[in-house]
Amino acid sequence: MQLFRYSTSIYGGSDVLIGASWDLLKWFVIAGAVVIVLHAAVKAVTSRRAGRAQ
Amino acid sequence: MTVSRVNAQAHVSAADAVPDRVKRHLLVDRAYHWLMAACILTLLATAFLPIIGYKFEWLGLHWTTGVALSALVLIHIVRAVIWQDFWAMMIDRVDLRDGWRHLAQALGRNGAAPGKPGKYKALQKLYHAGIAVLVLSIVATGLLMLLKIDTPLWRRNPYVLADYQWGWIYVVHGFAAMALITMVMIHIYFALRPDEWRFTRSMLRGWITRREFEEHHDQARWAADER
Repeated sequence: MQLFRYSTSIYGGSDVLIGASWDLLKWFVIAGAVVIVLHAAVKAVTSRRAGRAQ
Repeated sequence: MTVSRVNAQAHVSAADAVPDRVKRHLLVDRAYHWLMAACILTLLATAFLPIIGYKFEWLGLHWTTGVALSALVLIHIVRAVIWQDFWAMMIDRVDLRDGWRHLAQALGRNGAAPGKPGKYKALQKLYHAGIAVLVLSIVATGLLMLLKIDTPLWRRNPYVLADYQWGWIYVVHGFAAMALITMVMIHIYFALRPDEWRFTRSMLRGWITRREFEEHHDQARWAADER
């Protein structure tokens, strides 16, 4: 998995950095989904535990 | 007049004196929030839909919306510094102490119970700080990137910076934009949660109920306007 995008210089030599790799896009979406699922799960467990304690 | 009737009138007067709604967001702040949301969603759509395969002429809408977002952010900063309670959104010592107590409580340790937040919870403040960093990065790099396109107001001049400098500007813009997707997902999730609904309602209608105010907020830390 690449972090950056490069283009080949028309003058030869080393590649030129042109931006962030769009391959990472799905990982940012997955990170958001993971936070949501984890929070929902923790909330469900803690509210059940609190309900049982009352 | 009997004593009970006098007491009843006094009770009604007291009820009238304490409004059942507490003002949380003025109309101008709600308008800012929703205009900013419209800009962010438009910018994310015009940036990423072409990347995932929906090809269209995205650049014109993207840069004009970016300029609108920059103007909105500038207005918000001026308003926050001059007219709003700037420190209400800053994480303070009490937030850190209560955050530690929440963590200790979650881990099952004994100790003092965390206090109630002021107008904003510590996590809301943290979220705001994160969004501020991302949006300011996107605005700063986006405004520089305007130098690379022709518009009705100026001609392109990409030669003000070297290739590798442009590369890093695009890197910051791209990473901040992708991180914004994560943040928007989390924001929408919390806005839709029933236990957070009072915040969403207050961003639509401006108020929370007095009961919600007393139940969830420390009145010493939030001198709320009442109506």
